[in-house]
Parts: sequence; structure tokens; C-alpha cells
Amino acid sequence: MTLSRRSVLRAFGTGAAVAAAGAATPAAASSRNPQAPADAIAMLYDATVCIGCKACVAACTTANNLIPDTTMSGGIWQMPTDLNSQTKNIILLAKDGDQHSFVKRQCMHCIDPACVSGCPFSALTKGKYGIVEWDSYKCVGCRYCEISCPFDVPRFEWAKFNPKIVKCEFCNHRLADGKQPACTEACPVGAVIFGTRTQLLQEAKHRIEAHPGKYYQDRIYGEGDLGGTQVLYLSHLPFEKLGLPEVGTESRAHYGSKVHGVLYKGMLIPAAVYAVLVASIKRRYKVMEEEARQEAEHSGRPEQL
Amino acid sequence: MSATSHRWHRNVHIFNYPLFSAPFAFWGALGLIGLTLSLGRFFTGLWFTGMNDDYAWGVWKTFNVMTLTALGSGGLAVAFFCYVLGKTQLHSVMRTAVASSFLFYATGMFALVIDVGRPWNMYNMAFPWTWNLHSSLFEVALCMSAYVVIFLLFENLTYVVDQAILESDTTWRGRLRKWVPFFKKLYPWMVGGALLLPAMHQSSLGALMVIAGHKVHPLWQTQMLPAFYLIQAVVCGFAAVIFILMAASLAWRRPLDIPVLSDMAKYMAWTSFVFVAIRYIDVVIRGVIGQAFEATWYAVLFHTENFLVLIPALLFLNARIRATPRALFVLATLTGVGGVLYRFTPTTLAFRVNHPSVYFPKIAELLMCLGYIGLAVILFIWVAKRFAILPATTSDWDKYVTYLKSKNPKLRINEHGAATDN
Amino acid sequence: MSAEKDRTDTIADHLQRCGVSRRDFIGFCSKLAVVAPFGLAITDFLSPEAIAAEIGSAKRPSVIWLQMQDCTGCTETLLRPSQPDLATLILDIISLDYHETVMAASGHDAELALIDAMKANEGKYVLVVEGSIPTKDDGKFLKIGGKWGIDFLKEVAAKSAAIISIGSCASWGGVPSSGPNPTGAVGVDSIIKDKPIVNIPGCPPNPYILLGTVLQFAKAGTLPELDDKKRPKFAYDRVIHEHCPRRPHFDAGRFAKQFGDEGHRQGYCLYRLGCKGPVTHASCSTRHYNEVVDAWPIGVGAPCFGCTEQFVGYTIPAFQTVPISNATPPATYPDVGGAHDKGYVTATATGAAGLAGGIILGAGYVAARKFSNKAGDESVPGTEGEQK
Repeated sequence: MTLSRRSVLRAFGTGAAVAAAGAATPAAASSRNPQAPADAIAMLYDATVCIGCKACVAACTTANNLIPDTTMSGGIWQMPTDLNSQTKNIILLAKDGDQHSFVKRQCMHCIDPACVSGCPFSALTKGKYGIVEWDSYKCVGCRYCEISCPFDVPRFEWAKFNPKIVKCEFCNHRLADGKQPACTEACPVGAVIFGTRTQLLQEAKHRIEAHPGKYYQDRIYGEGDLGGTQVLYLSHLPFEKLGLPEVGTESRAHYGSKVHGVLYKGMLIPAAVYAVLVASIKRRYKVMEEEARQEAEHSGRPEQL
Repeated sequence: MSATSHRWHRNVHIFNYPLFSAPFAFWGALGLIGLTLSLGRFFTGLWFTGMNDDYAWGVWKTFNVMTLTALGSGGLAVAFFCYVLGKTQLHSVMRTAVASSFLFYATGMFALVIDVGRPWNMYNMAFPWTWNLHSSLFEVALCMSAYVVIFLLFENLTYVVDQAILESDTTWRGRLRKWVPFFKKLYPWMVGGALLLPAMHQSSLGALMVIAGHKVHPLWQTQMLPAFYLIQAVVCGFAAVIFILMAASLAWRRPLDIPVLSDMAKYMAWTSFVFVAIRYIDVVIRGVIGQAFEATWYAVLFHTENFLVLIPALLFLNARIRATPRALFVLATLTGVGGVLYRFTPTTLAFRVNHPSVYFPKIAELLMCLGYIGLAVILFIWVAKRFAILPATTSDWDKYVTYLKSKNPKLRINEHGAATDN
Repeated sequence: MSAEKDRTDTIADHLQRCGVSRRDFIGFCSKLAVVAPFGLAITDFLSPEAIAAEIGSAKRPSVIWLQMQDCTGCTETLLRPSQPDLATLILDIISLDYHETVMAASGHDAELALIDAMKANEGKYVLVVEGSIPTKDDGKFLKIGGKWGIDFLKEVAAKSAAIISIGSCASWGGVPSSGPNPTGAVGVDSIIKDKPIVNIPGCPPNPYILLGTVLQFAKAGTLPELDDKKRPKFAYDRVIHEHCPRRPHFDAGRFAKQFGDEGHRQGYCLYRLGCKGPVTHASCSTRHYNEVVDAWPIGVGAPCFGCTEQFVGYTIPAFQTVPISNATPPATYPDVGGAHDKGYVTATATGAAGLAGGIILGAGYVAARKFSNKAGDESVPGTEGEQK
């Protein structure tokens, strides 16, 4: 009895122990280091070039058949205040003291996306070219993607009877026609450009080399941030001011499944815990059943299951 | 084991009170409002809620799913201590625990169906190829459904079958009895599942917020969240069972069995110590303990959560306090409130740190939220009226049998309730 | 050319003597108020009459106008208002004592007039310079009245009260100075260092900027506040882009892509056609030319070529787009993380929640009171009073 009890406790404690181990050893973290897919496409946005003209916002709305968000302008012209269920792409204004910068926000198409990792029924998947795509037939509308996305990208159609998750899907319908995304095509100054991830990383590095000190930390945001993204940023302001979180290079998906991944690997631990539990309960139940039977016999009252 | 003993030995249903009463009407009305509004939600979408894209999860997921399942972990807590740790004296409250668990979980899942935007796509649950095994939320959904539909339902079947055997005629009694050995054979396997599954999904509920990373305040954002949620579920489960038993005793004028209640309080206290201890150890190890002593609401919240659990636990160490009904009631309630508060924090109160967004549920949302609780309460009243789920003394049982016989003289049972036809 | 008396009387007296109607003068003053030089703006005087009174009481400023390497465009702009009367009026308001193009005299008479004027108003006259000054080979590219242009300028400047360089050429060298600059053309401020200088660049500049500056000097004896390139701030403090009538098209990303295309005909932003508006400090977008609405390059569908901005005008090709750095964003631009509709708390909901909380708390208290306070009391709760 002592033996089984201890083993049960140990099995139950495994969760906590594994959790502690997972948190303590970064070595375990590097075991799953996601690589960009071989055909990964990308966008490179250079905040020092952007003139804030919002041509990309209008082009995105047109290309994706969205209804322009005119709430703030009293129904006159498109004037979204943030990404929302009618806006997959937006230019925002970042301020840092008396300096300012524009910043384009859309889905970052993470290499190891938190939303894909969290989506219960695989409605969000990492598809062709590494595009994070949404499937209306699988989405149950739980909005866990909104909770998990470190960039706050997915948006929900709160006002709709049949709500969808709205986010940039890299204009995959245009890519299929051999065209580039609407935003990169529309940009009058080339602040956002389209290419393969390898090309654009190279291009960004060239720009940094050509103008040392021009860019914040001489760094490309998205090269490794949060496991790497397929939308890359160059900026003269700190990335945090642009609303891009500076929280290390570990992908959220990986961070979130550290404990989970170990506990449920091949369902071995749950199976073992179950076996121990059943064995322990069986022993106890036998004794209790016997006692109940005797009690019932003794008192003449029926046994209660 | 005299007839006048106050010990709870058997389970009986409420036979000397009518089903319809003022509380029933009140909770029933709330439930009706909730149901009506829920129906309306399928025609309008979710725009009437206070939820927005920054607080994508509102009070339904946080309260009805995260919190009520914690309070509905009585089945887990009692069964674990009874069957695994050998505290067999808790067996008498098992039925109350599993019945309340079932109702809390069922309403929680109902709230979930109302909350999700596209519930009609839930059919994907039946297609394993759409399952995302990396997802904590999927794990929660699957384990919770399996727990409710298979294991909890089985555990709740015991008293249903029991009642059926007691009240049926000879033919049916014989037929049902044939199944009893099978039930008993299956029982340990089912209880095992009924421990494993809630343990899995209670910890996964915690894991849900781990992926949110920097959006959750560092005092709460930890890889230990799954462990905290599981331990907290046991604490909340005990608190809820003590509360329900005492409230039922108050409502239906039934004597208390102090030793069982105080034992539960004791186990709850020890679990609480484990919870608070590893919480403080966790913040120290992660080096964010400093933030717990800054002049912020987060620090106040952090300590409030801990002390609401810790202070009752400390007081429960005293056997006299543990044996005092009023103290039991108040302190168990406080512990429950602490647990509820903790469950609320990572998803709402400490979510979106330094973000301009706000979330507060709208009236309709609150009404629906209360409505689901109302449903659970009236269902519990009905179940307690119809089935023998509340623990009682042996003398109560005999009174109950007398009542049954007087109501249906054809019943072939003796004055102790034993069948007379075999 | 004029009698001694003429130079000392006030503008109002002089206009009366010349037979200019009061009505015309008030009309002129109202235009002056709209184009708003410092001190004469409608914000300082509530009516054109008030401005007329202010200007009328001033002494007519004596102006000497030198033309160096120029095209006479700046003179033309002064003489080409929409109504011919207005040009006369302008010439009546200021006392233009020497101007090679408009003065009646020629040859030695002209030079005599200059000497006269310099002597009569020594240290009080305003010198307006039009055109760049050649400096290469000792400035041998320009000769006026038998003197090298550069020496001529130094001589007249020495006795002036203030110098106004009108046009881009006088401001920094303008067209003649853009490469290869064979004459070594420079602006006035590269040569004259000991006099207050106001640059009014533009090709041509709006004459009202000159008038405003001169009238302020005549009335108050001061020069307008200048920026780091010595341009009056009242006219050059902002880039054209900030008040451009086509700015909403820019903000909405609507651009004309070639001359005559759909966007161009719709009046879209001309930035992609090479408009230099976003980098050019000038007031063209608010002060149109010749008192005619939309009489300025962007107004007629031609991209701004940046004439008021050294290193932009005559330097960057006319149809090449310029990089825009730090164009002031519209005030309505959405901020990062500062969106306007991020949920709100309603009073009814909080009230209801508080009420529910209160009821629960009260119910809890009442319920708790019903439980016995005695340790080990197993009696039925709520029946304490009934127990013996």
C-alpha cells in the first residue's frame, strides 16, 4: 500500500517536476529550432523609407474585397484605427519623443506561429510558401489565436452572425495568379518589398552595411525574433516603439508547449499515470466494496453503489 | 453506528421539501433569461458582449469555463483523496461531489458553445485528422468532453441506477441487478479516468495562458501555470464541496457531519500550503519577486490571491476552528473566492499589461453568465430532489424509506429499504 | 525722379496725391491680410480698413532694386498681378527709387538717380537684389554702369539699411549656380556680411512676401523672424506638403502615375511624378500667385520642382521622386497601441456587477450567521434557536 501510494504521488508530481525541468534547461529549448520553409516568401518593410501614404492600406482593402472601415471618419473615407475585422493591413504612427516613424502592421507569418500551434482544430495552418492560412470549415471561433499571437494580429468579426477570423494571408489569391501582394505592389516608394526570405534578408543586410548606424541596432527585426518571421522590419526607431515586442528569439509556440510537449509525448506519461491510478483504486475499491457488502448484510439496508 | 449517530453513512434524496421554492424560482428565472439570450446570440453574433480583439476571451470563458470547472473539481479532489490516498471516510460525500462536478462542467461546456463564434464547426471534434495535438485548447476541449460525457456521466450513473433498482418492480429490478457486477468491474477504470482527465485538462487550462507570453503579467506568466491550475483545482474543489454540503444542510435542514467536513478542510489546507509555497518559490526562482512588492494593483492582487487561500488554511490547522460550522463555512468560502480570483487573473486581470484596452462584461453577458449558474443550481436542486446524492445519517435513510413506502405501497422493500423480492 | 517732399510723406498722403482711390487701397489691404505677412495679418487687424490705417500712416519706404545675373522674372512677378491697377498701386506704396527695368531714365541719368537716392536716404533705404552675383575671375561676367557687378553691389549695399535678396538666384545662386556654374554665381549673403539680409527664394517668389517684409520694415523698422536660411518664417516655416490641397490623396495613397492618366485627371497627388512638395519650404500651397486661386504649379497639375530649396530646385531632376524624411503626419493618424475603440466600461454593467456582488456578500453573511459558532456543533444549521 505504501508503495503504490508513493508511486501515485510521484506520478502526479511528475507534471510539476517536468515543468520545473523544462523551465530550468534552455538546452531543451534548442532541440526544436524551427527553420523557415525552403520556399518561404517574405516582405521587407523599411520604416525609414515609408512616407505613411497608406497606399498599401487601400490596395489591401481592394485586393481582399474588404469593406473599408469608415467608422472614425463618419462614413466618409477609410480611416481604420488599428487592425480590425475590415483591415488586414494598416500603417500606424509611432512616436518616440519628437521623432516619429510610420509602421506597417499585418500578419508577420511567423516561422513557428503561436496561432497555428494553439488552434484546436488546425483551422490556421502554415501553408505553401510558409503563409499562415485560415480555413473557415475548421475554425470554431474560439479566438485562441487572438490570445496567443504575440503581435495581436488575428481579428474577429464580432458583429457578424457567421464570424470569421480576419488576418493577412499574404494575398495568396494574387500569388496564385503570379502577382505580388497588393501592398508591396502599391507602395510608391518601395518601403515594403516582396521576395523570398533569403533574398530579402540579404537585401536588408546590404542596406545595414551601406548605412551603418542608420538603423536601430543595425538589426533586422524578424530575422530571429520570436523564432523568426516572414515579414522583416528595418527601422530608425526602437522596434518596441513600433509595437513590435522585444521578447527574445524563442517562438511562442515553443515556449507554450515546453511542458505540454514533454508531458504528452506519445501519451506515455498519461498512460503510466492511468495505470498506477487504476491499480491503486482497484486495491482500495476491493476493500471498500467488501466493507459496504458487510455493512449492508449487517444492517439489512441495501448497498449503495 | 446507532440510529441516532450524526455520521453520514448513506445518501438520500430530499423528500420532505417541494421542488418549487423561492430560490428555485429565482435561479430558474435567471436560467431562463440566460437561455433566451443565448438563443438570441445565434442570430446576432457576439457584438453585444464587452469582448474586443484585445480581450478576446471574456467572462464566459474565464468564469464559466476556467472558474466553474475549478469549483467543479470536487469530483477530482474527493475521489483522489478517497480512492488514491485512502481517505475512505470521504466516500459519503462522493455523490454530492460528482453530481456538482457534472453540473459545473456541463454548464461550463454549454457556455463554451455559446462563446465560440462558429459552434457549428464543432463537428470537427469527430474527425481526428483535424485535431491539433500541439494545442492546449484542443487538449482541454477533448479531455473535458470525454470527462463529462464518459467518466463523469458514468460516476453519476451510479445513483441513477441505484434509485432505479430501489423504485422499480421485480422484473426491472432483476434486469438492472444483472448489470451491477459489470458496473463494479468497470468502476476503478472509470474513476481512474475521472482522475486522469481532469488532471490533464485542469493543467492544460493553465497551459493555455503560457503561450500568451509577455501579454500576461510576469507574476503570473510561468511555465508552472499548469501545475498551479491543477493544485488550485483541488483546493477549489474541496471548497466547493464543503460549501455545497453546508448550503444544502442549511436549505433543507439537515444535520452536519463535522468530522468529514473538517477532514476535507484539513486536506484543503494542506493543498493550499503546497499551492502558496510553490507560487512564492516560483516567483523567487524567476526573479520577479520584486514586482510583488511594488506599489501596483498587480502586487496587491498577487498577495490577495495568496492570502485568501493561505489565511483560511492556517486557521484550519486548528482542530477547534476546523470543527466550528460557521468558521468552516466562512473560511471555505473565502478559499473558494481566492481560487476564483486566481483563475480570473491570467486571462483578464493580469492580461494585457500596460495596454490601453479595457474589458468589462456587458449586462447581457453578465445575465447569461449568471443564467448558466442558475441552470446549474436548479438542476442540482432537481437532482438532489430526485436522486440520493446528499449524504445523510442512517436514521434519515430509514425515514426516507418510510416516506417511499408510504408514497408507493407496492414497492417491494422492507423498512430498511432492502429489496424483499429476492 | 521725385521731389524731396514725396519721399518723406506717408503712404496715404502719397496715394491721395496720385489719385488712387481709397477703395482700391482697401482692396489691396484685404489681399495683404489674406497672404498674411507678419504684423499685417487679419489676426492682428480685424479689418482691411485697420490695415489700411496702419500702412497708410507709414512713410513710403525707399527701395533701390539692383538686377544682377537675372532673368527679370522676379520683377515680372511684382508687376504682374491679376489687375494692372494693382501693379501701379504697389509702385505707389513703395518708393522705388532705382530699378533698371521700370525706371524711365537710362544711361548716366539713371546712375545719377541712384546716386541721388543713395545720398537722400543714406542708411535708411532697403536694397532689393535680384539675380546671382558672378564671382569667378573677379566677377568679370557682369558690368553695370561701368563697374563690375560685385563692386557695384558692395557699393550700394554699404549705405543700405537692410538687404532683401529676392528670388532663388539672389538667395543662394539659383539657376546660374547649378552645375557647372561657369560664372561662379553666388547669393548676396555670400558677399555682404555686415548687413541684415532677408532671403526670399522662389522662382519667382510671391511678391506679397516682399511687400510684407518691406512694409513691416517701413512701419516698424524691423525685419521678420527668419529661419536658418534667412527666409522669413511667416512664409517659409512649413513645407508645401503640409498644406497641399492634394494632401488627402497622398494620405490615402492615391497617386497620379503619369501625366494625363486617370489619377492625374482626378487631381491625385503628384508625388510619384516627382513633386518636391514634401521637402520644399514655401507657402505656395496657401498663397497662390497673382491673386488667382490655384495659380501655382501643383494647382495646375505640375509637380513642384522645389525652387525655394537649395540643393532641391535646379539640382534634383524635375521628375525624380524625393525621399521623404519626417513629413509631419496628419493629426488624425492612428498611433501604435493608442487606438480609440478598445472596449469601454458601461456604468450599468459595473453597477449590476457591483449589485450582484453585494447581494452575494449579503447572502453569504446571512448564511454564515445561521451556522453555529460552537466547535463540534452538529445540529441542523439555522435551527439554533429551536434547540433546547
